[in-house]
Order: sequence, then structure tokens, then C-alpha cells
Amino acid sequence: MKKLVSAPALFAAAGVLLVTGLLLAFLYSPMDASTMGYSQKIFYYHAPIAETALLAFGISFVAAILYLRSQNDKWDRLGVVSIRLGLVFSILVMATGMIWGKAAWGTWWDWEPRLTTFLLVCFLYTAYFVLRSVVEEEQRRATFAAVFAIIAFIDVPITFFATRFLPAGMHPTVITTGGTGMPGSMFMSFFISMIGMTLLLVALIRRDLGIEELRDRVADLKHSIGG
Amino acid sequence: MTGWRQFMAILRKDLIRELRTREMIISMILFVLLAMVIFHYAFGVKEDVDLTYFTGGMLWVTFIFAMLLGLNRSFAQEKDERCLDGLLLCPVDRVTIFFAKTAGNLIFLLIIQVVAVPVFTLFFVHRGYGSDIVLFVVVLLLADVGICALGTLLATISMNTRSRDLLLPIIFLPLIVPLLIAATAATTTIFATGASFGVLGTRLLFLLGFDAVFMVAAYGTYDFAIGE
Repeated sequence: MKKLVSAPALFAAAGVLLVTGLLLAFLYSPMDASTMGYSQKIFYYHAPIAETALLAFGISFVAAILYLRSQNDKWDRLGVVSIRLGLVFSILVMATGMIWGKAAWGTWWDWEPRLTTFLLVCFLYTAYFVLRSVVEEEQRRATFAAVFAIIAFIDVPITFFATRFLPAGMHPTVITTGGTGMPGSMFMSFFISMIGMTLLLVALIRRDLGIEELRDRVADLKHSIGG
Repeated sequence: MTGWRQFMAILRKDLIRELRTREMIISMILFVLLAMVIFHYAFGVKEDVDLTYFTGGMLWVTFIFAMLLGLNRSFAQEKDERCLDGLLLCPVDRVTIFFAKTAGNLIFLLIIQVVAVPVFTLFFVHRGYGSDIVLFVVVLLLADVGICALGTLLATISMNTRSRDLLLPIIFLPLIVPLLIAATAATTTIFATGASFGVLGTRLLFLLGFDAVFMVAAYGTYDFAIGE
């Protein structure tokens, strides 16, 4: 994959798609029929960011299993990188969700299932980094982190399901098992933004993995000269 | 020695150790009673306020924090006295250690619940729920298994780190929130309005699913969590 597409090309493709998605959202997609008006346009970023965050955590889950099976450091690095990016995307989900909530319902925060899930996910994956920071030995740190990443990812859908026991919130349900609930003109903008956001995640993971590799090499070199 | 006998041996060791000192159980029970007094002053802001609706939440918050105390204590002893090294040197499957430790913690949690539930009920619940007692016990047991399984796995990880008891709440609490939500919702329904197995069906199934999922997850990862 490293040779197939260069990192700048990925960033450029993501940028083009995200800008196109945004332009389509405003110029092509119809205004929302409900009272939300323009504020609904944030949906074209908010939902793709949410899905990308979950994708990043999914990657960390797979990386954690692969690490436990192989004890190969590269999977640990992938775990760290994808969780860090997933966390950033989760914070963006909450930020965009709060902005939308304020515009549409007049409140910054509503304890509804999805927002609450992302709030808990933020705590959960912040704890991942706290855990890493208190284990000195490298292999042990990676092993514990992998165990925690597996448990944490299993907990995400469980949390989402549990928050349904709370009194219902105001969040619209767009994508259900019955279909997307979106007309084609809306879906296209949404789909392009989603592909753009996914590419952005892949590009960021690629870049961060490179940085982590270099960091490890510097640490090894320092160690080898007794530093 | 078969797995079952190993399990019983480790469990018996933990129980005997606790019965000799009683430091964990006594501090957990004291903590629960103190929490009750604190909740009374925190929520009883008006003379005639009915706390029935809040009692489920108070109980589960108390149990989870009491469990944190207990988990830290039980593993600190293992680590400080190097008892765990001895245990790991024995030809015992790591998973057997996990199940025995979980069972031990479950027994301690049940003991504090036997004290806490009547006291909380006496002070806060203004409605008899005698007819739902079986249902309530089922909720308690299902939630307890989840708390102890997840707690034991995470306490094993945290005791092997630099900050030990500081780390445990940070990794344990966000993971246990879904269970807390379901258990609180079920308990509150029982206390406030009364319920049946049919009414609480989804919540009970959820708790059962939570227990099963994390038991399996712990089964698969405990070897790595306990270290060499």
C-alpha cells in the first residue's frame, strides 16, 4: 500500500472530496423539509466524522488482536495511531453535534444515545492513553494496551445499546435497517463526504505511522549509544 | 489436580485470607454505610422529598465504588506479598485464576449487598417491593457477575502498572457505565413502580449478554493481562 498511493496524493484526494461534498451539500442537496433549515447542512460532515471515528476504533480492535497473536510492534503502533485519530474524530463528532443541537433544538447538550455514546467513548479511549503512560516496559505496555483496546471496542456497541434505556432524546434517526431515509440528492453529498473523510483517516494513519516508526527508531538509536 | 479443584483451592485461599483479617469486608461495609449517609444529605434537600426514584442509582453507584475499593485491596495484597508469583508458578491455567478471583470478588460484593440493600431500602424506599424480591435478586446477581468479571480483568492489568489503584477507576468506570445504566433502570423500576420479568425482559437480557460477552473477552485475554 505504501508504494501504491503516496501520502500527499491521499491527502489531496480527501481534500477534493471533502470540499466537493461541502459544495454539493449547499448548492445541490435540497433544504431540509423540517424546521432545521441551513443548520441541517452540518449533517454532511457530522455523520461521516462519526462513522470515521468508529472505523478508526475498529482498526484498533483488529490491530490489537493481531498484536496479541504476533507480538509484532507494528500492530501496536497501528493501534496507538488509530485510537489517537479516533479520539480526535470523536471530539469533532461531539463538537459538530453540539453546534447542530444548539441550532436545531436550542440546546448545546442533550443526553441522547448517540452523543452520550461518543462522550463515553472519549473517556474510554482517553483511559487507553492513561494506561499506556503508566506501564514502563514496552512489551508489557503494548500487551496491556491491546487487551484494553479489545475490551473497549466491544464496549462501544454495548454502550450505545444501553443508552437506549435512558429517556429518549431528540436525535434524528437517518440510517436504519430499512434504508438511508435520504433522497438521492442528499445521499450523494453525504456519500462523497463520507468517502472523503475515510480517505482523510487513511492518509492521517499513514502519516502518523511513519512518525511513530521514526520515533521508535530514534529511541532504539539512543538506547544503542547508551543515551 | 482438575480445573474445578484448582478453582476451589484459589477461592478458598482468598476467603480464608479475608476471614482472618476482615479488613476488606469491614472497610467496604463501612464505605457503603457512609455513602448512604452522604447521599441522604446530598439529596435530602427538602424535608419531605421522596428518594425512592433515586435509590436504584445510589445503590449501584455505591456498589461500584465499593467494588473499586475491594478490587484494589485484593490485588494489592497478592502483589505486595508476592503471592501472585507463587500462584503463577503453580501448574494452574491462568483462566482458572481469573474465574476463582472473579468468584471471590462476587462473594465479597454479595456480602456487602446483604448489608446495604436492607439499609438503603429502610431509609430511602417508600414503597414495599416484597413481591418483586426474586426479580430484584436476579438483577443483582446478573449485574454483580458483570461488575466482578470486568473488574477482576482490569484490576489484574492495573496492579501490574506503576500507578495501580489510581488507574483502576479510570479504566473501569467508562467500561462499566452500560451495566450501570441497565442495572439502575431495572432497579429503579422495581423500587418505584414494581415490575415483572416481562417488563424488565430487555434489561435482564442486556445484563446477561454483558456478562457473557465480557466473560468470553476476559477468557480470551486473561493470559495476556496477568503477564508472565
